[in-house]
Amino acid sequence: MAKIDLSNISHSYNPNDPNPVYALNPFSMTWENGNRYAILGPSGCGKTTMLNIVSGLVRPSAGRILFDNKDVTDLKTEDRNIAQVFQFPVIYNTMTVYENLAFPLKCRDFSKSKTDERVNSVAETLNLKSFLNSPARKLTADQKQLISLGRGLVREDVAAVLMDEPLTVIDPDLKFRLRRNLKEINEQYKTTLVYVTHDQNEAMTFADNIIVMSEGEVVQTGSPKELFERPNTTFVGYFIGSPAMNLFESEVSSNDSVKINNNLIKTRTNLSNLKTKKIKLGIRSEFIKIAQNQNENLVDVNVEKVEDLGNYKLITAKLGDFTIKSKVTRETEIPSSKVKLHIPADRCCVYEDNKLI
Amino acid sequence: MNKLYIFLKYFFIVVWTVFVVAPFLWALTTSFKDFQSVNGGVTYIPWVDFEPNLEGWKVLIKSPAKGGVDIIEPYFNSLFVTCTASLISIILGTLSAYALSRYTFKAGFVKNNDITFFFISQRIMPPIVLSIPFFLFLSSINLLDSLTGLIVVYIVLLMPIAVWIMVDFFNKVPREIDETALIDGCNPYQAFLKVVLPNSIPGLIVAGMFCIIFGWIDFFFAFILTFTEVQLLPVKIVALNSSVTPWWSLSASALVSVAPLIIVAFIVERYLSKGNLSGAIK
Repeated sequence: MAKIDLSNISHSYNPNDPNPVYALNPFSMTWENGNRYAILGPSGCGKTTMLNIVSGLVRPSAGRILFDNKDVTDLKTEDRNIAQVFQFPVIYNTMTVYENLAFPLKCRDFSKSKTDERVNSVAETLNLKSFLNSPARKLTADQKQLISLGRGLVREDVAAVLMDEPLTVIDPDLKFRLRRNLKEINEQYKTTLVYVTHDQNEAMTFADNIIVMSEGEVVQTGSPKELFERPNTTFVGYFIGSPAMNLFESEVSSNDSVKINNNLIKTRTNLSNLKTKKIKLGIRSEFIKIAQNQNENLVDVNVEKVEDLGNYKLITAKLGDFTIKSKVTRETEIPSSKVKLHIPADRCCVYEDNKLI
Repeated sequence: MNKLYIFLKYFFIVVWTVFVVAPFLWALTTSFKDFQSVNGGVTYIPWVDFEPNLEGWKVLIKSPAKGGVDIIEPYFNSLFVTCTASLISIILGTLSAYALSRYTFKAGFVKNNDITFFFISQRIMPPIVLSIPFFLFLSSINLLDSLTGLIVVYIVLLMPIAVWIMVDFFNKVPREIDETALIDGCNPYQAFLKVVLPNSIPGLIVAGMFCIIFGWIDFFFAFILTFTEVQLLPVKIVALNSSVTPWWSLSASALVSVAPLIIVAFIVERYLSKGNLSGAIK
């Protein structure tokens, strides 16, 4: 258990090249003790590199890592007291399930009784108790992944448990239960958990802090609510949420309003200090509703299709050249092909150069 | 259709079995024959076609003074040289293979793959090319006609096999295994010994089997690099031949010389059938 500081970290896999390619651009970040973090981003955005830097498998090209204010940048992996679970099950084939789970403790000279206690407790949590004496290689793929996970959780005193998409190979039902178990473990032992995923739902349900990454860059850090309601960049707006945020190329028309296809939309953002008049207006489809009795921020649209997605309806409509999506309750009647939609001013996000103003 | 398939299957199994077993049966019966039984027409069944005797076998253990050839000492020489050279080759080969698989080496344009190929290239070369250098080398360090000299030469011949098999094997062992071991608290040496090596036992067995086979059957270098002090089995067996071919003792010696390989094959087969070689990873 430790506070982890990443200070000006950057990494390139070919630092000696005249034109090094950076897998991670410089960033700084603090992971508080006992929190749950999710690192979210598309494949190849540097998530795994970031984890490997923390665990010491990769030495960053620049920057320092501190565990509880102690510099560990040059400390070897085995001395860092960190746990890491990989995407695919890694088990020690020649050992039994018990020996697998006990291995991290054995390597650190824990007593037999302490080892027994910890292994049993972890096996209990992960439903592995009845397999403890079976050879690990005889288990199914998802049981093997549970072993990997168990090895990560067996030490109570780790600085953090780093998980690199650990639930990819596990079936959905068990996945749901495991995520809840991980949350419980975090609450019970106050273990810092860092969870890498490209699945936004997983990140949203698991973490209290989400770090969104794109192309080696940390684009936003915040709670699921913040990321959802106030995405820092158009990328986050697009990447988080299903469907993605509605984004409209528009023009500033006054200090607080923009124009989309001759429709005037008021926002709560001060637009007086912008360098250009060309901006993007972003709004979540969850916040766009069919107009009732509002008299501003209304747009006339042509409904293209209405999909019933079980617990909600998704309206896809055309606003001039733009496509606009709105999520409404199942009960909502969609009157005709022409409807008026209301865009609430307090939910509008204005982006200049793809960055939130 | 199904019956035909089963018939064909068994037919080919029988044909193949006869093909494999017949020479052994032939050698076995011949080893119990004497001059008359071998040269006096075709005979197969002991006690009916011919009267079996142990002369062919006795020659192998009689001392030369009593008209025998005494293959016991060469036999143990061969065992000793093969096992020692194989063991050292496996140890050195495994260490080099692990390094080649996990770390990056670079010297000018020479990289990991080139080094691995360099090892294998030692076996691509015809052995005769090596005979003169080996002869001169051993004579310069006074190891001609000695077991130690042969072991040194066999290590050179067997280590490429071990490296070649183990590099491929380690490449298939996911790097994450090593990384997990490091995270679990091992240092790199412990990670290799406690985790990677036990995971690689199937590879070690295959490499060991090849080393033992290639070491055991070598005649060429054993013939060139030894004279009178020490002799290895293949050389001694060839020396059995004389103007009148002693088919009986040749057969007997052929049988004893393949015995260790049959034992090795048997152990490996048992190991294979336990499913230990398949699905070792993943």
